[in-house]
Amino acid sequence: MRKREYDFWLLFTVLVLLALGTIMVFSASSYTALSTQGNKYHYLIRQVIWVTVGLIAMFVVSNIDYRRIALSSPILLVICVVLLVLVRIPGIGSNVNGSWRWFNFGPASFQPSEFAKIALILFLSFSLSKNSHRLQYFFTGLLPYLMVVGFIDLLLLLEPHKSATLLITMVSAIILFCAGARIWHFIVLGVPAVAGGIYIIMKDAYSMQRILAFWDPFKYPQDIGYQIINSLYAIASGSVFGRGLGKSLQKYLYLPEPHNDFIFSILAEELGFVGALTVVILFMLFIWRGLKIAMNAPDMMGSLIAAGITSLVALEAVINIAVVTSTIPATGMPLPFFSYGGTSLVFLLIAIGILLNISKGASQMPVRSKGIVSESYAGRDVTSRKAGEFDI
Amino acid sequence: MRGNRYTGRTGSNEKKGETMAGNVRRMSGRRKAELPDKPNTTKLKKREFVLLLLFSISLIFMLYRVAFIQFVKGEEYREKAYLNQTHKRQINPKRGTIYDRNGKGLAISASVDTIGVNPKALRDEVKSDENKLRTIASDLAAILDMDSETIMSKFMANSRYEFIKRKIDRELGNKVREYVADAKLKNIYIDEDSKRFYPNGKLASHILGFTGVDDQGLSGIELVLDNTLKGVPGKIMNEVDVHGRQVSFSQERYIDAIDGYDVYLTIDETIQHLTEKALDQAILDYNLKRGAMAIVMNPNTGEVLAMASKPDFDPNDPDALPDFVDDPEWGGFSDPEDSKLLWQTVFRNKAVMDTYEPGSVFKAITAAAALEENVVTPTTPEYCKPISLAGHTINCWKKGGHGSEDFTHAVYNSCNPVFVETALDLGISKFYKYVRMFGFMERTGIELQGEPSNEEYRKLWHSDPKEIDLAVSSFGQRFQISPIQLITAYSAIANGGTLLKPTIIKQICDNDGNIIKKFEPQVVRKVISEETAATLRTILEGVVSEGTGKNAYVSGYRIAGKTGTSETLTTEIDGRYVVSFMAFAPADNPQICVLVALDHPQVAMNLRSGGILAAPVAGKLTEEILEYLQVERKYTEKDKVEATPEVYVPNVTGLTLKEAEEKLKAFGLKFVVEGANTGENAIVYSQTPKADFAVPQNATIILYTDLEQNDKTVVMPDLLNKSMDEAVSILNNLGLNVRTVGSGIVHKQQYPAGTVLNKGDVVEITLVEMEVD
Repeated sequence: MRKREYDFWLLFTVLVLLALGTIMVFSASSYTALSTQGNKYHYLIRQVIWVTVGLIAMFVVSNIDYRRIALSSPILLVICVVLLVLVRIPGIGSNVNGSWRWFNFGPASFQPSEFAKIALILFLSFSLSKNSHRLQYFFTGLLPYLMVVGFIDLLLLLEPHKSATLLITMVSAIILFCAGARIWHFIVLGVPAVAGGIYIIMKDAYSMQRILAFWDPFKYPQDIGYQIINSLYAIASGSVFGRGLGKSLQKYLYLPEPHNDFIFSILAEELGFVGALTVVILFMLFIWRGLKIAMNAPDMMGSLIAAGITSLVALEAVINIAVVTSTIPATGMPLPFFSYGGTSLVFLLIAIGILLNISKGASQMPVRSKGIVSESYAGRDVTSRKAGEFDI
Repeated sequence: MRGNRYTGRTGSNEKKGETMAGNVRRMSGRRKAELPDKPNTTKLKKREFVLLLLFSISLIFMLYRVAFIQFVKGEEYREKAYLNQTHKRQINPKRGTIYDRNGKGLAISASVDTIGVNPKALRDEVKSDENKLRTIASDLAAILDMDSETIMSKFMANSRYEFIKRKIDRELGNKVREYVADAKLKNIYIDEDSKRFYPNGKLASHILGFTGVDDQGLSGIELVLDNTLKGVPGKIMNEVDVHGRQVSFSQERYIDAIDGYDVYLTIDETIQHLTEKALDQAILDYNLKRGAMAIVMNPNTGEVLAMASKPDFDPNDPDALPDFVDDPEWGGFSDPEDSKLLWQTVFRNKAVMDTYEPGSVFKAITAAAALEENVVTPTTPEYCKPISLAGHTINCWKKGGHGSEDFTHAVYNSCNPVFVETALDLGISKFYKYVRMFGFMERTGIELQGEPSNEEYRKLWHSDPKEIDLAVSSFGQRFQISPIQLITAYSAIANGGTLLKPTIIKQICDNDGNIIKKFEPQVVRKVISEETAATLRTILEGVVSEGTGKNAYVSGYRIAGKTGTSETLTTEIDGRYVVSFMAFAPADNPQICVLVALDHPQVAMNLRSGGILAAPVAGKLTEEILEYLQVERKYTEKDKVEATPEVYVPNVTGLTLKEAEEKLKAFGLKFVVEGANTGENAIVYSQTPKADFAVPQNATIILYTDLEQNDKTVVMPDLLNKSMDEAVSILNNLGLNVRTVGSGIVHKQQYPAGTVLNKGDVVEITLVEMEVD
């Protein structure tokens, strides 16, 4: 009997990404912090705290059997719906720049949409692992799931929070796809979905502006094209080896909030193409290990959860880099492990914890650990078990 | 059934599900092929593998995008980013000096300071403390003698750079430096700058031109040679944040300015000064309504030695209110109307920009053509009488004409009918051939702005000349030329027949004094032969010594020249004439050409002629220039007879009358005693004129022998239009001494009628010949 282990390469990749991310948050934020907060370590200190909290959460979660978490996913989803409704109510949620996305608790703030991402991945994986066969049928199989996702989407659009809506929709689609949904269903659904998406964007002046800025950012250098232009300047300034760590010029308030969505631009400026290449390789490593865990998961639920979480990170990374390189229109997407952000980082690391837990199952020898695995398959009575008993 | 197992849908699947897990593991291993068909499992893994591929491709594509931005677009974006991230302050180069031909500075750049501020960064520096900003503003206002609110508004500007005060003295700049250093302010800049300074004020203002606030040339040589003079600006570069604050690791980088080249003009400061003084005096004497113009040229090189145009301006303060304008709300350059007026009046260089009918001065050109083409010789007999041509009658300026005379005397007398005959003999094509050869239909190419183009010059002539056009053109009417063209053409006559390109620039030197470019004389073409030129010079000398140019005569210098009286479009309405004189000297070996034109003299109508008004001005100016150039005087026998030598009065006070008489006799001076005591031992207590005063040798000195006696006074009479003998005897009878200048009738007296003078004072009277055109 082999001793169960975390997937070493995944854990390694995550820790390297986090370390690099923290350094970059410091480098990118120091000047903004100094000029707005009066202390150049302002964001660094907070980021270190959140990383620490997140890592603790990750290790705790990695020791909880993912099946137990998945079992409670319907409840989590209900909580999530309640939070998404509450956040829209003035006095409970807070309005930042016209969107109702946050709950504020003193120093910390919390976005229910972060929670919704994980809750939905868990719920879809949990439910689909039981009902994947029904996906063959549109009305009795696929449609109910689409309605659940659509409902969450609707709540997110009411905030409004388009980037989260987009991400959740894409991750859900990936999970449905992995679970065996028919390709032509996607094609048939895809056409109205894309049309609907375009309609929503066209109707919205803000989104439309972003598209215009994307087509020709240099036409709007002072307003809507400003961020993109300065992002391109930053990346271009990096050249092969970069200006050197800490030597970005674009972070000197040219690029607003350089430690958030545009942190990759600062990284490319300071560390050059070599730095960007390193980051992309790390994400590819992460995706490879994540999907390997999915493919080697002990059960379909674990496989779907792993694929969902990996896809979530991969999509965020790809979209973020696509935005900062002006490959797609701007949308507020953080770069996982890099962008500064309190609770979202904690939720990300919780998700990584789940992934690590699945990886433990995946490394488990396929020996006679009867009953237990099947119980988890059945989705019953697992709650009474301890995680440690899982693989005798 | 198996397909459902993996989903764990039923309890019966539990065991098999476990097996499945094992199967999944093995599937990824070597036993895959042996496994039974499990569609969902394979599908799941296949689809997850597709995900891996898609994400990898996406990330590689992102990497391609980064590379594209960094390497394909890199140069362009980096350039733009650099402009954004770098704050540049310009270091103005020192503008080159403009010297006269002898190295006297005419336009000099002085080192000054310019005070600027980075408002955003300053506000940041004081943490937006408005009181602190106000304190700084009022402190600076006190140093710079400015309004503190003005400075405050600059501090509040939404920019990276604002001028506080430009081009202040270095001394004041140092005070600001001290203040800024004491207050430890980082965002108030004191940058070295330079300011144009014209030490001679109005002197040569039209040649030099002036510069704007950015030291850019706006007119004259400052404009024409702006690129040569201005140099290349240097830069102070800083890497800054979006508000223009220097970033921590940035180091100020300096790119030194390259100073402008120095320009040496062909102008001689002294000759320029003499020329302007002569014009200023003429303006006073003749009450010139439209100013005046003069050019002095070296006929052998085409170099302009002086060029003056009145009214003028002070290039140190070009938009100051001109004295002939009365405008309490004068705005200078900031008022478009005022600005336009300035450009139309004081900034206008009449010598190059204005064209006028030359009048009789042009007869020299007709004569040159006729002599060169052998249509006439100096001794050809002519007859001056009114001519009828195409229904017009052309009269001589002298009623009834001059009758029988040779061609030389026809020039002396400036007889229009003779010139008409001569031109008709020459024919239209030959006449205009010489007009073109002398350069009247093309620009001279002098290095000053505003000269008409070839096209514009040609339009000033008859497009398809007929005989009557030829007839009036022969004596300089009904067409226009520019003064610079005229003096250039006369230079050809003076130098032996070669038309030269006039130039005003001698050389251009770099900062170490190395000559970058030298302006050598440029021959345009040979116009007339040496012989023709020599013949014409002799005739033109006679014009001054015997003819209509007599008033330009200077004893000892052989001045040749021709008078000109030009009608204008408004002559019949307001009596505006342009009177001119074109001279060169010495006639046998010309060193200088002098053209003087006076616009709209407001004197008696019968005096409004070049011979009466312009000739004495040109003659005196020529004399002064030749003296300055140390050209030796050669007196003719006639000069010697007419000349009254001057002596310096000796000091005879304190002497006895006897001693005084002896002393004065030695100087050839006469004397009169005033006082009770006339004995030969009486003491001379005072004398008029005083000792060392220059007087004509025939003067009478008044000696006072009473101790406390006041000088005897007389009242100056009006001598205008009196003959010389009359005037001299009136003054002598009053006990005044006389110095005469010129011949003819009194035209000007040194003191106006009614002035109280001491007996014995010397009164200068200027006489003028009226027998001129």
